[in-house]
Amino acid sequence: MNWTEILAFTRGPLFQVALVIFVAGMLYRLVRVLMLGWQKDKVPAKGSKAVGVVKSFLKGLLIFPFIPWVKRTFTKNPVIYLAGGLFHLSLFVVLILGAAHMLVWKSLLGFGWWTLPLPIVDWMAAVGIVAMVALFINRLFNPVLKLLTGPAEWLNLAFVFLPMVSGYMLTHHLFFRYEVMFSIHMLTVDFLLIWIPLSRISHFMFYFFSRAIHGQEFGKRAVNP
Amino acid sequence: MAEDSIYERLKQQGVTRRDFLKLCGAVAGAIGLSGLPPVQASGLPVTLARSGYKARDQVARVLETKSRLPVIWLEFQDCAGCTEALSRSHSPTLVNLVLNAITVEYHETLSAAAGFQAEGAKHNAMEKYAGQYVLVVEGSIPMALDGAYCTIGGRSALDILKESAAGAAAIIATGNCAAFGGLPKAKPNPTDAKGVWEIVTDKPVVNIPGCPAIPEVFTAVVAHFLVFGALPELDSLNRPKTFYGKTIHDRCLRRPFYEAGKFALSYDDEGAKEGWCLYKLGCKGPTTYNACASLKWDGGLSFPIQAGHPCLGCSEPGFWDGGGFYQGQSAPLSRPDLTVVGAAAAAGAVAGVAVGAANQAQKKAAKKAEKAK
Ligand code: HEM
Ligand code: SF4
Repeated sequence: MNWTEILAFTRGPLFQVALVIFVAGMLYRLVRVLMLGWQKDKVPAKGSKAVGVVKSFLKGLLIFPFIPWVKRTFTKNPVIYLAGGLFHLSLFVVLILGAAHMLVWKSLLGFGWWTLPLPIVDWMAAVGIVAMVALFINRLFNPVLKLLTGPAEWLNLAFVFLPMVSGYMLTHHLFFRYEVMFSIHMLTVDFLLIWIPLSRISHFMFYFFSRAIHGQEFGKRAVNP
Repeated sequence: MAEDSIYERLKQQGVTRRDFLKLCGAVAGAIGLSGLPPVQASGLPVTLARSGYKARDQVARVLETKSRLPVIWLEFQDCAGCTEALSRSHSPTLVNLVLNAITVEYHETLSAAAGFQAEGAKHNAMEKYAGQYVLVVEGSIPMALDGAYCTIGGRSALDILKESAAGAAAIIATGNCAAFGGLPKAKPNPTDAKGVWEIVTDKPVVNIPGCPAIPEVFTAVVAHFLVFGALPELDSLNRPKTFYGKTIHDRCLRRPFYEAGKFALSYDDEGAKEGWCLYKLGCKGPTTYNACASLKWDGGLSFPIQAGHPCLGCSEPGFWDGGGFYQGQSAPLSRPDLTVVGAAAAAGAVAGVAVGAANQAQKKAAKKAEKAK
C-alpha cells in the first residue's frame, strides 16, 4: 500500500463511514435530549419568550465576546476565557472561512462561499494551536479542573488537537511529503468525526438549546441578564 | 554483421564532431551527470574522475564505442499518445540523438511493415538481441477474460508481454497506462487493466507515468541506460528520482499566489487573468510528482498550469478516480449516498427514541413504586 492509496482511503471510504457514524450519532444524542421533555409552563408570562431567545443569542454571540470583562467567567480567569474564545474563533475561521475547508462543504452541500486569504487562516490556525496548548496546561495544573478531568477529557483535547496540528503542518509542507501529511490529517479528521457524538464535544449542538431555553426563561420574566 | 557505433552513424548523417560533443553535453545534462559519483557507479576507471573529467566526454566515449540500443516497443490498451509526444517532440537535439542511438525493431504505430511480416521481424529481433534489448510498453494489460480484451495477431497482451519480457535487459513502462493502469483502469475497470510492474516482477521495470510521458524524461532514461547499462535511481513507485523527486506544486510558477492565498475561482475571472493559483479549480499539483513544472512541454515552452489549466495529477496511480478534476483537492473523494445518510440519521433517531422511551418507562415505574410506599 502506498501513500496515494492510503490518502484515497482516508479521503474516500473511511471519510464516508465516519460521516455516517457522525450523523447517526448526533441524531441519537439529539433525540435523547429532546425526549427528556419539557416541564409544562403554568406560570403566565410577563414578557415575550421569543424576544428573550433572540436577545440571548445576540448577546452570547455578538456582544459578550467583545466586552468580555462584564462577565465573571472572564474576570476570574481571563487567560482561560481568552484561550477558549480564541480557540472557538480559530475553529470557525479555519473550518468555515478557509479555502480548503470551504471546498469540503461545497462538495457536500453543493454550494460554496467567499473565503479569507490563506495567511489569515494560517495565523488563526496558529492561534488555535497555541490556545489549545494553554488550555492543556491549565487542565494539568488547575486543582479544580484536575478533579473534573478524566481520560475522556484528555481524549477530547487530543482528538481536536491532532487535526489542527496536522492541517497546519500540511499547509506548511513541514517534515513530511504532502500526501503523507494529508493522509494523517484526514485520518485524524475521520477519528474526530467518529469521536464527536460519543463525547462531550457534541456540546456544539446543545449550546443552541441551552441558549434558547435560558433566553426563553429570561424573556418570560421580562428580565435582562 | 557488426553494427557501426552510434558516433559513426551520426557522422554518416553529417553531424560534425563539434555538434556531436554538444549533443553529448546535452545527454550528460539530461541524465544528471555532473560529478564524481556517477562515474564511480558506472564502474569506469576512477582516473576519469580526476582533474579534467567532463561528463560530456564520458558520454562521448560511450557513444563512440557502443552500437545502437535495440528497442522493442509494445502497445496494448493505449492511445499511442506517448509515441505521438515522443515522435513530435520539439527538443530536436536530445530527442533526435536518442532516437538515433536506438534502433526500434518493432513498433506497431511507426513500423512500415504490418501483419505477419511485422510479427516475424519482432521475433527475429528478440532472438538476435536476447538479453540485450530494451522493452518499451505503452498501454495497460487487461487481465479479465484471459486477456481477451486486447489481442494482437491472435495472442493476448498478457501473453505477448510475458514472452517479450523474458529476453529483455530492462523494461520501460511509458505513460500512466503501462505504469499504473491509467485510463483503462478507471472505475469500474471492466477489463481488469494492470500496469507492467504488477505482472513482470523478475526484471527491472522503470515507470515513466504521465499522460503522456514527458518525451525528455523518456529519452533521459534511455540515455542513462545507454551510458551506464543500467536504469537510473528509482522511487518507491519505480519512477526515476531525478524527474519525479519533486511535486508540480514545489516548482510551480503560480506558487507565490498560493502562499498569498490568491486563487482563481473560475476560468475567466480576474484571478485567472492575473495568473493566480488554480488550487480551488481542482489543481492536483501538491500531490503530483512529475517534472512538468521544470522541464515543461514543447521544448520548455509551457505546461498546463502555465496555460491556465489545473494539474490533473496524470503521473499518479489511480489519478482518474482521484476525485473530480475540477473539484478542489481537499474535497472528499465522493459524497456519501443521500439514502445512506438518511438511513443512518433515521437509525440514530430510532435508537434515541427507543432508549429514551425505555428510560421514561423506568422513571414512571420508579415514581409509582415511590407513591405506593
Ligand atoms: C474538524 C476537523 C478539521 C480540523 C480541526 C482541521 C484543521 C485544519 C487546519 C488547522 C489546517 C491548516 C490551515 C492553514 O494553516 O491554512 C487544515 C488544512 C487542511 N485541511 Fe483541515 N481540518 C479539519 C477537517 C478537514 C476536512 C474534513 C478536510 C477534507 C476533507 C480537511 C482538509 C484539509 C486540507 C486539504 C488542508 C490543507 C489546505 C492547504 O494546503 O491549503 N480538513 N485543516
Ligand atoms: S496552481 Fe496548483 S501546483 Fe501551482 S501553486 Fe497552485 S495548487 Fe500548487
